[in-house]
Amino acid sequence: MRLSRRLTATAALATASAVVLAGCSTGGDTGSSDEPITLTITTFGTMGLDDLYAQYEADHPNITIKATNIDTGGNALTDWKTKQASGGLPDIQAVEEGWLGSVMEVSDTFTDLRDYGADDIKDRWVDWKVAQATDPNGRIIGYGTDIGPEGLCYNGKLFEAAGLPSDRDSVAELFGGTDATWDKFFEVGEQYHAATGKAFYDQSGFVWNAFVNQQPEGYYKKDGSLNVEGNDTLKNFWLQLADAQSKGLSANSAQWDWGKGQSFVDGTFATFMCPGWMLGVVKGNTEAGGGDASTGWDFADVFPGGYANWGGSFLTVPSTSAHPKEAAELAAWLTDTQQEVAAFQAAGTFPSVKAAQTDPGVTGQSDLTAFFNDAPVGEILGSRASGVTAQFKGPDDALIQEQVFGPARTALDAGTADGETTWNQAIDLLHQLVG
Amino acid sequence: MTTLTDAGRDGAAREIERPRLTWRQRLSRADVKYSPYVYVAPFFVLFALVGLFPLLYTFVVSLNDWDLLKGQGDWVGFDNYVTELQDPWFWNSIGNTFSIFVLSAVPQLIAATFIAAVLDQNLRAKTFWRLSVLLPYVVTPAAVALIFSSIFSEDYGLVNNLLGSLGLDPVLWKHDTLPGHLAIATMVNWRWTGYNALILLAAMQAVPRDVYESAALDGAGAFRRFFSITLPSIRPTFIFVLITATIGGLQIFTEPKLFDATNATPGGAYHQYETTTLYIWNMAFNQDRFGRAAAIAFLLLLIIVAIGLVNYVLSKGIASSEVKVARDRTRRRLERHRDRQLAGAVASTSAPTSAPTSGEPRS
Repeated sequence: MRLSRRLTATAALATASAVVLAGCSTGGDTGSSDEPITLTITTFGTMGLDDLYAQYEADHPNITIKATNIDTGGNALTDWKTKQASGGLPDIQAVEEGWLGSVMEVSDTFTDLRDYGADDIKDRWVDWKVAQATDPNGRIIGYGTDIGPEGLCYNGKLFEAAGLPSDRDSVAELFGGTDATWDKFFEVGEQYHAATGKAFYDQSGFVWNAFVNQQPEGYYKKDGSLNVEGNDTLKNFWLQLADAQSKGLSANSAQWDWGKGQSFVDGTFATFMCPGWMLGVVKGNTEAGGGDASTGWDFADVFPGGYANWGGSFLTVPSTSAHPKEAAELAAWLTDTQQEVAAFQAAGTFPSVKAAQTDPGVTGQSDLTAFFNDAPVGEILGSRASGVTAQFKGPDDALIQEQVFGPARTALDAGTADGETTWNQAIDLLHQLVG
Repeated sequence: MTTLTDAGRDGAAREIERPRLTWRQRLSRADVKYSPYVYVAPFFVLFALVGLFPLLYTFVVSLNDWDLLKGQGDWVGFDNYVTELQDPWFWNSIGNTFSIFVLSAVPQLIAATFIAAVLDQNLRAKTFWRLSVLLPYVVTPAAVALIFSSIFSEDYGLVNNLLGSLGLDPVLWKHDTLPGHLAIATMVNWRWTGYNALILLAAMQAVPRDVYESAALDGAGAFRRFFSITLPSIRPTFIFVLITATIGGLQIFTEPKLFDATNATPGGAYHQYETTTLYIWNMAFNQDRFGRAAAIAFLLLLIIVAIGLVNYVLSKGIASSEVKVARDRTRRRLERHRDRQLAGAVASTSAPTSAPTSGEPRS
């Protein structure tokens, strides 16, 4: 008797919970706007979005944002690939320009943001940013966050010690102003080296990146075929880099490490390739190495070889997201004018939104301007962005950059092999890794 | 039909001898017969899910031109295996794996044995010392790798600073092959020496103390006692430690992965310390070639199985030679005993009818 009563009770409980569960699932299906929703977002590096999440949560009480930030773009790429293959993608995935080629290979696994109003807002970005995020079928799969117009970071104190001009305008003039060439850059470098005996730039990798990104066609031609072997423009610049290395212009620092920032402080090198988002990296590393604004870093409105763009990101909504509508709304909000201004102030990520580029919040004073000797970094970046054109990125762009030219560049900087040898080494690697 | 009737008759014949089992009896019989299988089932079910299935799935993947992002491609049979066996980077990774394995396992086991021997002495605060050697094992490998990566940093690292203050040239730990292998082996050693020492210590504690006492009375010094008593006594445990060190050594991943974490190429700029597990990871997640990565994983499995077999044969050889030594010793003693008896018998009867037949030299 006791047993059967207990059984009845259990059965009643089970029925009750089934009803409750059913009630829950019906509630989920109707999708009322007050329903609590958790949105996950994965970003990388310093994108300057962290403070914005709390603001969005405050305006939308039913939304909770769970953010993950991965230290570098390379690690973020691995993370994305792993999850793309095995599941577990967030509602919003930040994608870097360098691996956009891989993303476009599987663009049908991303939500077409035109379903959620992309057409209404696409005029807010510079044209080429939207074009980059549009797949061959015309689907817009990402909203642009920042772009990476490149200017030249230099250390004014070290320039002065070497007897070179140290104020921004004279430095821009020194490198050739609007006609700045790489030849001139290496020439000044030799002058600096002759005066101080020290290296001019941290390592050859970023210089190489800048040059490749500057070309109308980089590692790939516009038609999608490889553009490395037999490319005399690239090879000649490679040999020029090797020559500069042999003259002591490269400090051969470990990139993305720089002795935990110490190389930025102890005068190991005097110039640095600076796309907008790199300004935050320079500041962060200098501070980690024990330096501050008085270390002497400055930012000039000039770049060897003309306008260049390195990187910049997009916010995408993978089609696996359970809340594509809310995710698209958040992505659109995060890439709106005021938010891009705030991100710039936090991390120096230069806006891809036109209205934000001229916003006083970007052109005015900030922590960054204070660090860079009161340089008007926003204005300078706006000027550096004006002549940028988008370059086609192929499916293996990131792999070629990192695993084909990475080892060859390391050998070149270490001085263990000459330009011709390291170039051939890169071509061999290209055949092995890409085909 | 005949078999059925036969069986029926057979059963009927038995029934005469034994009464028909009740339902309860049959149940308890089934319990005895089948329950053990039910008890061990959880392991096998779990193993099938998380061990066997992935293994077979990996094999299927390895037979396809499988892309990480785009999924299953064309069926290519064993092409991936052929490609890998001809790929210099595959052999590079195998070479690195074995080099790092030898550089870590050999010093590690020697050091562990001596640390264990020291801990086996009558020390004050025994537990403190024993726990101390285990401390590195508690630290996660990622943290170890980060700390050692900083110590072996080329420009600002502790080791190169020390070398510099001695007037020596800095060593390119992250660009040269052998220094890189040494640095990674150092991490592995730092983590595993104490652990192995404790296992060996447990074996040493089991050696009877009176053996040492009588050896000491016979005039054997500390070293003689160590080499003639301790080492032979802990041989089975030593073989166990050797096998686990081998398996671990062939799967080193975290240390080389994080040693130069900011480098875009895993395992060093020139893949100079890229172990096979790291190579698999690179192939799968940087080059997107899932099929080839699966093929390498299978090749690594074959290598580990082969080494396991070598270990098995070796340890079997050692074990059987131990038995042989014991058997020989017994036989010799018996023969000596028989000889003496015979000699006694011969002396008493003074009739030399049979000489000792054994050709075994006496010792």
